[in-house]
Amino acid sequence: MSELGNFEHIGDAADLYAVGALDDFEQAAIDKHVAGCDECARLLGAAEARVTVLAEADARHKAPVQLERRVVSTVRARPSRPRAFIPAVAAALIIGLLPSAYFWQQNQAMHAEMAAQGDAMTRVASMPHRSVAFTDMTGGAARVMYSPDGTWYVIFIRGATRALSVAWMHDGQRTMLGTATPHGDAAMLFLPKSHRMDQLALLDGEQVVAEAQLAY
Amino acid sequence: MVDSSGTGEEPLADGFAAHEPWAFEEAYRRYGHLLYSTAYNVLGNADDAGDAVHDALARVWRSHNAYSRARGAVRSFLTVCVRNEAISRRRAQSRRLRLEDRLAAEPEQHDELPSNDPIERDRLRAAMSRLPDEQRAPLQLAYFEGKTHTEIAHELKIPLGTIKSRIAIGLRKLAAALGGTRE
Repeated sequence: MSELGNFEHIGDAADLYAVGALDDFEQAAIDKHVAGCDECARLLGAAEARVTVLAEADARHKAPVQLERRVVSTVRARPSRPRAFIPAVAAALIIGLLPSAYFWQQNQAMHAEMAAQGDAMTRVASMPHRSVAFTDMTGGAARVMYSPDGTWYVIFIRGATRALSVAWMHDGQRTMLGTATPHGDAAMLFLPKSHRMDQLALLDGEQVVAEAQLAY
Repeated sequence: MVDSSGTGEEPLADGFAAHEPWAFEEAYRRYGHLLYSTAYNVLGNADDAGDAVHDALARVWRSHNAYSRARGAVRSFLTVCVRNEAISRRRAQSRRLRLEDRLAAEPEQHDELPSNDPIERDRLRAAMSRLPDEQRAPLQLAYFEGKTHTEIAHELKIPLGTIKSRIAIGLRKLAAALGGTRE
């Protein structure tokens, strides 16, 4: 347990996020986790409130008038999609189309994914790690954060449009490690391992789309 | 368009979570100066500050699950969104620009808020200076210099976990010294 409470989720990383001490990839990973976890959303909201007290104490610049016009025109140019029908469609699927066993399975998978995300958050935010970008990634960016002793790896992909497989490339072979499935435009895969892997690849089907060279 | 005049914090937060256009517009009207000032304090440049505010809000607007009621006050959520966007831009700029280029930039003429009290201005720095060194140093590097926890740990030669807890404790003390958190 951390002093902030539940260490299985984002824990003290909430303060790092709020104060701006995480890099873009770490922030995006927390955004992704918080979108599905109210407990961590509350923790993060409390940290954001503390940073806002600091920001208010130092606020002295007046926003230019044209900025309001710019913000308003962005909102009006791209209206919110109608959401009212979503619960109705969901209800129809639940009642009429899909058996409850499917939802139980989905629920278990979602819990397993959230637990893995929480584990990844804890490691990235609190343990020494290295970070390497995947090269040649077109239409997005990907990075692997990993422990110097090779006991865990977090692969994070931004701008992901479809699921990508992650493979360990070694001795002329390819060992498949798992799949990073996008939610929104980000995908994450947490890999607890017991050995050092020095070359990872992202694959779209059989095609290698990006590679990362890891140093220890 | 909903007439939102006189809307309280709670209805605004509900509207914001429901992705209502009136709530986004109202949130900007209420917190626009705070958001802009927050971005300006990080970037030191009016154009960049305006872009950071606009782009952060546009990203929140495009994302349908960025804010939920569990997150708390819309003001705090947006302030940190904008600040993190500004810090990200500053990191990208500092990779591109040499220090000399930034120092050579012309100082800008700027409107300041009417409540611009020099004593008020210094409250943050004064409160910061009263923190113990071990908390002040990492918090200062994070808050004023926009450094990541990894960079701070490296610079101060302190383990990441220790940096994280010192920032968390320092931030609580600082917020309490400045009048506590408001929801």
